[in-house]
Amino acid sequence: MELREVAHEIGAPLRDGEHVVVTGAGTHDAVGNPTLATCTRLRVPSGIVTYEPADLTVRVWAGTPVRELQATLAEAGQEVPLDPRDPTATVGGVIACGLSGVRRLRHGPVRDAVLQVDAIDGQATLFKAGGPTVKNVTGYDVPRLLVGSFGTLAVMLQLILRCRPLPAASAWYRVSSPDLPGNLRTAMLRPAAILWDGRDAWVLAEGNEQDLAAEAEAAELGEPVDAAPPLPDAAHRGRISVDPAQLGALAIRLRAISGLRWLAEVGVGTVHVAADDATTLLAARTGAHECGAWMLREAGGDGCDGFGTALPHLDLARRVKAAFDPRGLLAPGRVPL
Amino acid sequence: MSTPLGLDPDELVACVACGLCLPHCPTYRVTNLEIASPRGRIAAMRAVEQGVVPLDGVFVRAMEECVQCRGCEAACPSGVPFGHLMEGARAALASQPIADARRSPLARRATERVALSWVLTRHRVLLTLTWLLWAAQHVHLVPRRLGVPRLRAADLRTPLTAPSGDATADAWLFTGCVMDAWQRGVHRAALEVLGAVGVRASRPGPGGDCCGALHVHSGRRDEARKLARRVIDSMPGTAPIVVDAAGCGAALRDYGHLLGTEEAAAFAARVRDFSEYAVSQGAAEHLVATGERVVVQDPCHLRHVQKAHPAVRDLLGRAYRLAETADDGLCCGAGGAYSVQQPALAQSIRARKAGALREAGADADTVVCSANPGCTFHLAAAGFVVEHPAELAARALSREPVSRPT
Amino acid sequence: MLDHLLADLANAMGPDRARAEPLELALYARDAGVQAGAAAAVCFPRHADDVAAAVAAARRHGVPFVARGSGTGLAGGATPMEEPLVIVTTQMNRVLDIDVASRRAWVEPGVLNLDLSRAVAPYGLHYAPDPSSQQACTIGGNVATNAGGPHCLASGVTAAHVLAVDVVLPDATTARLGGLAPDTPGYDLRGVFVGSEGTMGIATKIAVRLQPNPPTVRTLLLDFTAIDDAAATVSAIIAAGVLPAALEMMDAEITRAVEDFVGAGYPRDADAVLLVELDGLADGVAADVAAVSDLAMAHGARNVRVAADEAERQLLWKGRKSAFGAIARIAPDYYLHDAVVPRTQLVTVLREVYAIADECALTMMNVFHAGDGNLHPLIVFDARVPGVWERVHEAGNRILTACIRAGGVLSGEHGVGLEKRDLMPLLFSPDDLALQGRLVDAFDPDGLANPAKVLPAGSRCGEIGRRPVPEGAWI
Repeated sequence: MELREVAHEIGAPLRDGEHVVVTGAGTHDAVGNPTLATCTRLRVPSGIVTYEPADLTVRVWAGTPVRELQATLAEAGQEVPLDPRDPTATVGGVIACGLSGVRRLRHGPVRDAVLQVDAIDGQATLFKAGGPTVKNVTGYDVPRLLVGSFGTLAVMLQLILRCRPLPAASAWYRVSSPDLPGNLRTAMLRPAAILWDGRDAWVLAEGNEQDLAAEAEAAELGEPVDAAPPLPDAAHRGRISVDPAQLGALAIRLRAISGLRWLAEVGVGTVHVAADDATTLLAARTGAHECGAWMLREAGGDGCDGFGTALPHLDLARRVKAAFDPRGLLAPGRVPL
Repeated sequence: MSTPLGLDPDELVACVACGLCLPHCPTYRVTNLEIASPRGRIAAMRAVEQGVVPLDGVFVRAMEECVQCRGCEAACPSGVPFGHLMEGARAALASQPIADARRSPLARRATERVALSWVLTRHRVLLTLTWLLWAAQHVHLVPRRLGVPRLRAADLRTPLTAPSGDATADAWLFTGCVMDAWQRGVHRAALEVLGAVGVRASRPGPGGDCCGALHVHSGRRDEARKLARRVIDSMPGTAPIVVDAAGCGAALRDYGHLLGTEEAAAFAARVRDFSEYAVSQGAAEHLVATGERVVVQDPCHLRHVQKAHPAVRDLLGRAYRLAETADDGLCCGAGGAYSVQQPALAQSIRARKAGALREAGADADTVVCSANPGCTFHLAAAGFVVEHPAELAARALSREPVSRPT
Repeated sequence: MLDHLLADLANAMGPDRARAEPLELALYARDAGVQAGAAAAVCFPRHADDVAAAVAAARRHGVPFVARGSGTGLAGGATPMEEPLVIVTTQMNRVLDIDVASRRAWVEPGVLNLDLSRAVAPYGLHYAPDPSSQQACTIGGNVATNAGGPHCLASGVTAAHVLAVDVVLPDATTARLGGLAPDTPGYDLRGVFVGSEGTMGIATKIAVRLQPNPPTVRTLLLDFTAIDDAAATVSAIIAAGVLPAALEMMDAEITRAVEDFVGAGYPRDADAVLLVELDGLADGVAADVAAVSDLAMAHGARNVRVAADEAERQLLWKGRKSAFGAIARIAPDYYLHDAVVPRTQLVTVLREVYAIADECALTMMNVFHAGDGNLHPLIVFDARVPGVWERVHEAGNRILTACIRAGGVLSGEHGVGLEKRDLMPLLFSPDDLALQGRLVDAFDPDGLANPAKVLPAGSRCGEIGRRPVPEGAWI
């Protein structure tokens, strides 16, 4: 179906003045704040529109499952650096929530992967932002603004993403590390991930096979292990965003919270936390605040605020929101405006 | 059509305002102001020429603040002949009265006039004054920060061994004015090195003293032309003209442009910097390793104008452990008479250079090597031990060691 | 009014910090672009408070304002339009903090790009974006234009390297956009600020990411007798999964010009050369060098030259970096364009570009970032020839139209500024532009921040009497 037709169809409730929220696979429904139960649920098509491996770009419908996209790209030896916790998540869902994967240390945040967005705004007007090429400074960088905006600014229909060659080889290593393994970052040129749970550190290296072996030996990582550590999982989950220089201070606080499971991305500052009860999760949030950090609720939390903090520059953020959605129809309440 | 400055419009439009010159300009580096940058100065000249802005004190100051190091020329992708434009603008300003409080003070301009027209051009007057200066130094009346080198009576008393005006010699050694009065030891060292490789050098004949570089910089082109003709006449024939002062060398090399005659161009083509010539005569092979560390400072007129700075390394690289500064050869702020005319800017620029020299290892025991007297005085006044490549080469000649000048 | 503005500025920032002499104003009438404007006054803040005071003073007197760094922009982004106050940030040039462990630095906007890399070099780090004007351009200007450079192919443009920006917003309040934590709650205002060309406020302090220097770097010169083969090799390299640190192309004309100028050993009779840089760890680089060499030979390369040492590597790059100097010696004037096309369209678009130059009777050269399809068609001419500017304009517009038609964009790294704002409708629909207009209005409801830039006239509410770019302003 043509973009314009889809836009017209999906925009119908907006033209009628209804509150709407986009649903993909539903894997991110609990991230941030919930939207009004009365919202009309919109679904965006799935599928790869165009893919040109030599351009390192792919155009997809926002409703495409990440797993499906990666499978197609892998046939040409490429990938997009999207690593959602649940691979059934849709491309649009991951990007709307702005959730970067654990390989961010090497591959950058998801916002760096989005080149162009075709979307409709709160008035159901179809617009294009960004451009199809890997390099582009024509006009304002609206795509970055849409990444992590939780669907409150626009309904993303199609995205053009930047692809990368799959690494020739990759390997996880595990070393015992009661202390923050800050040295690992400088012991290697560009590790893809350094994860740490307070006892062990896991390192993901990507690149040439001999280089991996040499780096692993130099950094005393031992032999590769079979798999990545699982992200902490439980009914109550969140992700803390902390200045990576403050990770050590945060870890002291997190260690003191009994029942809390956590895994930190060293050098990035993202800390995945999980607990069996809401109180423990909220204790992690308190610890984060004490370190100048904040925690996004990802699941559970029993009605606690999704962000736990006021948005910075609230007046400006509200004006930005109004520029896209003057009637406040898009995902009301999802972001604390 | 006559314009306020009479500059070559083709040279002016060559600047496309890309700004790549900015970091290579010493005054821009310390002020970060467009008006103190090469691009800004060209835009100012253009605006005045087009009558868009008046020829006022702001403009005059903008021109006077330029060190004329020509570091911008080396950085310019479009090949703008900035030096010629600035010399042209200075010449135009020198020939017209501009009343403005912001011009440099009358007293300073009067001093400049006496120095340029009455002292430098009369070598005997200069030597007499130098004796007076020596006496004053002797009774501690001359503060070190003025940058006057420590004068030595023996040097002043003893003439150079080379003959004067000998057209049969292998090469001419141009001795200059201030250099001969204040740094005769450098000439001595140069002759020693040339002698060691069998070069018979002669001093210029009568009139071969002041090259006129400072006059060109101050816009006194007519005087400079007179001096240039005198200098050309003082060194006839086809023998190479060896110059051990980078500023003078650059001036001599520009005589073709200054006088616009074929004779002058042919003369200019004979000019060689001392290091260049010494290397071409195989002097580097006559030096022995001293193990000493030396920090190289490139005088602008050696590096940006003559582009002869690699020769200093070729000459001394075997004998000394050479260290480079990490500042892209930015000017030290001496700029001929600049350090006297613009003391505040000259000192800021020098402070930056001093930092780069220290970072490269220059200290009380480590010599800074500089091929130009202006830079030498300016840096010595900041506490550095500065020697000329000729002196360093002479000390490393492969025979009995020569005592180091103090 | 001007006197009051100057008095306010002097009051807030100190005497002699604001000027309005005709000569001073003339010097800030343009950047490295070709269009000139006119400033009402110029001021030289020393810290963020000065910038806020300057913006507040300008607002009080209803005067627009525009920030300016080194003025090396090629799109007229810093050209003063509607008689603004020019706020020059070059004296705010301190590297405030280098955090080696976290690989980041806080800098003031006037720090020169290359000075930053030099400041962090002792720690084995560098700042990745390296525009051709790297030695002269400021980080503040880089943030404004979202600057790129040859080495952005693998490591991304400025937006990927800015963590946080302290800004003075157009209402004279201050804000920190982004932060040192990986994510900030709410909208990515930092992301949209980067590349906003001074229309959303003025950066006063910037946190940038630093990269470790790769231990192994290899530079290759690939020599082709047909430009199509060179372009096909570019696609083949990318398709083979090799992501070079830089992948630059030079056509026959520019290769000859550069060789005459620099003597870097470029093949004078080549139809095109590719300069490929591969970096990383030893074995991976060796494998990539082999792969690129094989691909080049398979696609008709005549020769592959791998720089044997650092000196040869520097020489090869010197050729590329001296391209504009070489051109200036061919004709007195040049017009440098900046557009991006999908890599796979390079051959088609290049052919079209040469045809346009022929039809307009202009000399055209191409030296560009082939790896990301970032074309820099360069028209060389003599502006004194009557009527030549019209042909240069016509050719430029036709080239950009051809790029857009091939699925490209108007600018890859120079920005839109004044130069291309009226061409924006080539890429964006009225709805697209209206949305961008509303977005910038959210930051600057009064339209005082760098007016008349980025968006064509009529895109923003509240703009009164905005005129098209005056033709007489071309110089």
